[in-house]
Amino acid sequence: MEKRIIFFLILWTASFKAVAQESPTPDYRNFPVTITLQFQSFSLPFKNLGSNFKNMGIGIGTEVSHNGDHDWIQEFSIFWIRNKAMGNGLYLVTQTAWRPYLGNPFFGELKAGVGYKLAFRPSESFIQKEGKWLAAGKKGKGMLAIPIGIGLGIHDYSESVYSSPFINYQPVFLKGFNQDIPLVPETIFQLGTRTHFNKLIK
Amino acid sequence: MKKTILNQFVGFFLILFTPFLSVAQNQSACQPSNSEASIRQFAGVQKKMEDLVNLGIPGVVAGVKTGEGTWYSAAGFSRLEDLTPMNSCNLQYLQSISKTFLAASILILKDQGKIDLDRPVFDYLPTELASWILKSDQMTVRMLLNHTSGIPEYNYLPEYITVLLQDPEHDFTPLDYMELIKGKEPDFEPGSRYSYRNSGYVLLALMMDHLTGDHAKFIRENIFERLGLKSTFYQESPDYLEKSALVDGYWDRYSNGILENSSYLQKQNVKKMVGDDGLVTTAADGIRFLEALLSGELISQESLAEMKTWVNDSKGTPQYGLGLDLTTLGGKQAIGHSGGGLGAGSQLYYFPEQKTYIFLAINLATVTGSPIHKKAEVVVNELYLEILKGGI
Repeated sequence: MEKRIIFFLILWTASFKAVAQESPTPDYRNFPVTITLQFQSFSLPFKNLGSNFKNMGIGIGTEVSHNGDHDWIQEFSIFWIRNKAMGNGLYLVTQTAWRPYLGNPFFGELKAGVGYKLAFRPSESFIQKEGKWLAAGKKGKGMLAIPIGIGLGIHDYSESVYSSPFINYQPVFLKGFNQDIPLVPETIFQLGTRTHFNKLIK
Repeated sequence: MKKTILNQFVGFFLILFTPFLSVAQNQSACQPSNSEASIRQFAGVQKKMEDLVNLGIPGVVAGVKTGEGTWYSAAGFSRLEDLTPMNSCNLQYLQSISKTFLAASILILKDQGKIDLDRPVFDYLPTELASWILKSDQMTVRMLLNHTSGIPEYNYLPEYITVLLQDPEHDFTPLDYMELIKGKEPDFEPGSRYSYRNSGYVLLALMMDHLTGDHAKFIRENIFERLGLKSTFYQESPDYLEKSALVDGYWDRYSNGILENSSYLQKQNVKKMVGDDGLVTTAADGIRFLEALLSGELISQESLAEMKTWVNDSKGTPQYGLGLDLTTLGGKQAIGHSGGGLGAGSQLYYFPEQKTYIFLAINLATVTGSPIHKKAEVVVNELYLEILKGGI
């Protein structure tokens, strides 16, 4: 199953460029409101995929295009994920996305970026001070996050308010988890929609 | 009617408090019967245990047996949430010290003529499992016991660790651990050098299952029951770790000195491990086992000599026998084993020069780094020096 998914993704990625050159770029509107539903897991990319769906979260964000063709986009998002086993997490992420159009209204997406994860603990923690054990709550640690993503979406431009639904899969690497695991892998499935409001047309 | 209600109340309160009375009785029975002389002798050791607790280790248990007597003591807490004091009769996780029990049981099989240490493990495995482990026809039972087989390690694989931490309820079976290394080339030519491998002991447990029907039952019958180890437990039932006397475990998840209760994760992990881990015991039972093993009560003198035939590490230092580790603690030579897990660390050693057995356990994970560990290592060494400076 996992091998088939990887094969599909490679094939699909390889087809981006050729298709992109054949398709006209539709109009685009900056600063949509992006709402996302996330499914996260502490796991290697394309491994143990089922465990993602035990840990759900929500997010909000926006984006702005880098060029006139609107196929280079800068995304900004903040999202929260509930993970009972490993602890919840709050993420602040910006990613540069290459979004070639596969044929109206579909687009593919490859992206990478940088972010920050504030990790919480799954249970109460304790610290000893002056010989006494004190409760230290569930707050954990802030870590540098490096997300890499692949996605697919629909961009059906309209003069009025319009929405652009999408799905993507992102391996995220966290730096400095602890002394023994310097780089921790996570994976995130993301479903979402970008709503482009009329008043923001420039 | 009133009498009936009163009776119901009395009955209710009796039911409610009976477990507490029972626990209270157990706790009083747990008070170690240390002699006045031993209390004076080991006052410095008690101080070192308190020092460990003051460094941020939740709880510590120590047991000492010399030719003159025994001393058992504890410091700190077995559970931080309600500040339950650590007690010397608390059950402790043995972690990798379990390997010594498995090795001893294999030597018992050897004494019974049922196994040859120098035959390939291939000969003692189910055909399908043997085919999973590349070069199992060149790996002898001895090589697996003394970590010279080169069998690939499952325990460090990211695909194992991520599932273990993200999905603690994942139903790992012993075969699942072997499936993680299925078809992988050995890390080096079997027998060519020493490198510690948990996988080897999982394979040996599966070998024993094939030979005896149930390796855990064999260990219980041939070691626990034979030595009267009434507070030592291993795979009696799926919930064998659900015991109130078992300490809670803690870990420093982010290596910043803040501890989290890891008991759930620890139990889920330990109860699914076979051969390389899985036992829990008390300090007294631990020492009883090692003493029986090294005095030839469990196995023949010939087999004991095999267990104490050391292989060298890469620096040429004698390192490991068959389920026994040769090391230096407190500046003295020690024979035994140590163990570490997601909520505990333990050491069980015999010091031949001093004719002294020592069991030491903490309920803080030793497999994830912590600033607490570095300072604690110094104090642990001082603790051994204190114990070994003289007899009772």
